[in-house]
Amino acid sequence: MNDGLFDQFKTWYEKRHDYARDWKARTGGQVVATMCTYTPEELLIAAGMLPVRVLGAHEPQNVTEPHIFGMFCPFCRDSLAQGLLGRFDYAEGVTLTQSCIQYRQTFNSWRMHVPTVQWDYYVPMPNDVQSPHARKAHYAEVQSFREFLGALTGKPLTDEMLKEALAVVDENRTLLRKLFDYRKEANPRVTGVEALYASITAQFVDRREHNEMLKKVLAALPTRDLNRPEGVRFMTIGSENDDVAFMAMIESVGGTIVIDDQCSGTRHFWNASKPEDDVIKAIADRYCDRPACPTKDYPNHTRYDHVLGLAKEYGVQGAIFLQQKFCDPHEGDYPDLKRHLEDNGVPTLFLEFDITNPIGPFRIRVEAFLETLGEEELF
Amino acid sequence: MITAGIDMGSRSIKVVLLEEIKVDGAPQLKYAVKKAHVMLPGEMDADEAAEKAYDEALKAAGVTRDDIKAVFVTGAGRSQVKFATEGVTEMTAGARGANYMFPQVRTVVDVGAEEGRGVKVDADGKAIDFAGNEKCAAGAGSFAEAMSRALQMSLKEFGEASLRSDKTIPMNAQCTVFAESEVVSLIHASTPSQDIAKAVLDAVASRICAMVRRVGIEESVALIGGMAHSVGFVASLKKALDVQDVLLPEMPESISALGCALIAAERQQ
Repeated sequence: MNDGLFDQFKTWYEKRHDYARDWKARTGGQVVATMCTYTPEELLIAAGMLPVRVLGAHEPQNVTEPHIFGMFCPFCRDSLAQGLLGRFDYAEGVTLTQSCIQYRQTFNSWRMHVPTVQWDYYVPMPNDVQSPHARKAHYAEVQSFREFLGALTGKPLTDEMLKEALAVVDENRTLLRKLFDYRKEANPRVTGVEALYASITAQFVDRREHNEMLKKVLAALPTRDLNRPEGVRFMTIGSENDDVAFMAMIESVGGTIVIDDQCSGTRHFWNASKPEDDVIKAIADRYCDRPACPTKDYPNHTRYDHVLGLAKEYGVQGAIFLQQKFCDPHEGDYPDLKRHLEDNGVPTLFLEFDITNPIGPFRIRVEAFLETLGEEELF
Repeated sequence: MITAGIDMGSRSIKVVLLEEIKVDGAPQLKYAVKKAHVMLPGEMDADEAAEKAYDEALKAAGVTRDDIKAVFVTGAGRSQVKFATEGVTEMTAGARGANYMFPQVRTVVDVGAEEGRGVKVDADGKAIDFAGNEKCAAGAGSFAEAMSRALQMSLKEFGEASLRSDKTIPMNAQCTVFAESEVVSLIHASTPSQDIAKAVLDAVASRICAMVRRVGIEESVALIGGMAHSVGFVASLKKALDVQDVLLPEMPESISALGCALIAAERQQ
């Protein structure tokens, strides 16, 4: 059944560059290409800018070899290709907040070689967020970013501007959590593909518009009946992955994706900020407290219990690792996280992703995974 | 009751017809292979090719379509077979077929033309975990076939030649094309052909072994798929897996089709 409830999110996703150009024409604001979901978007929004996360196009490309190695992860290569191919020619700025070294090289190549870039900013957020010094250091870095943006626009970012932006982003996080709550239900009234459209678009659509759309969807959900078989309840785990064709394939062969631990999904919006008198502290701490990416999850591996907790809370019957090839941080976590899930009754499937993916062979693997999970006694 | 299993492989189609044996008038879970197998090369029109292979198997077995209770299909092109009753994955089909041949088997290694995979199997013949090669042919039969062509040998001769070698030559099996250039270099260096054959089969076995380790190697181990016909590959695999024995079924390339026919029969119970 398609009642069109999520069509606006789908349109935003499919025409994201058109959306950004239109937003710019409407508002006269600057667009900033952002890399990594640790980027404190609140500051950019407070400065009247539109943060647009750089996503790949999942198309073969031949432009990144002079700049980054072929053994850098496909997402980094695909992201850089989008810049080099001029797909973000509307973006004045580009920012990265430190996460993995491959992403940093993508950012460095982008700011050096994408001719439309007018300014760039690198936020050297500590990776060891568990260090007692991390919050203080990150506070100082967010403050520096604030000063940079104030100088860039000629309009210092006041506490009031930052508080207003933080309130908008926190509302977005809260609304997305409410939407995701519906996925806990038996036979959820939101599919994984729909949830992906809703959550990924929060990374490049004006958050105020996104909030209004989320409110409309949330108002309609209580009476929605998808009338589709639930099948096996899956969780997806990995880094950035917005391969809609793959997600749709999973949901076409007898499964429903009910939750994720990905930066294209929950890791981006899962926690709101905590109330603080000092707005910079509220913003900076929120990023230290968010569900960790593997690059920021040591010496203690907090994400293993976080992922397992999500699996339990959402009634997950099988977890699929969407491993970006050559993504060292996630590959490093994989053996232990797999064991942790399986020891606690959550079977796993590992699939290695590239810029383009072989849906046919992946379908066979997902179907075989379903057969191994099947309660039906085949023999 | 007769059921059919069809394996729509990337290079060939295998058909197995299975007849239930009745002991003292009561249906038993025992079967006789009505027709061992029919192999036809894959064609562009998978459904038409499957029809052809199926009809040939029926003709050879002296039965008609009306005699067949169910047709289950597996393999890369299974979704295109319109006349099939149901489909199962290669992992499930291979596990069931190998379990029927060798009930003690716990690890099934399946090496066909374009895929190599390891499947962990429980006592009931159910696949409980699996790993496979993804986007390259280096861990599969077509790689060994390409290398044997470079040495101007058949795949059978290639396997036999490797047994005559006692050398270990490391070879990159990550990429078929680069490995072929390594083979050419070895030929130019006047390396004996049996040593090159062994290097290639060791490399394929090593790559397969790395995959099987992902699911864990538990004995007994069975090898199915066309590469089981290569005596040299079997020797290399046994060494790589470090196991006492590798069980080899008759008609190894048709075990997945057999598994399909078995599952089809059991679903009718």
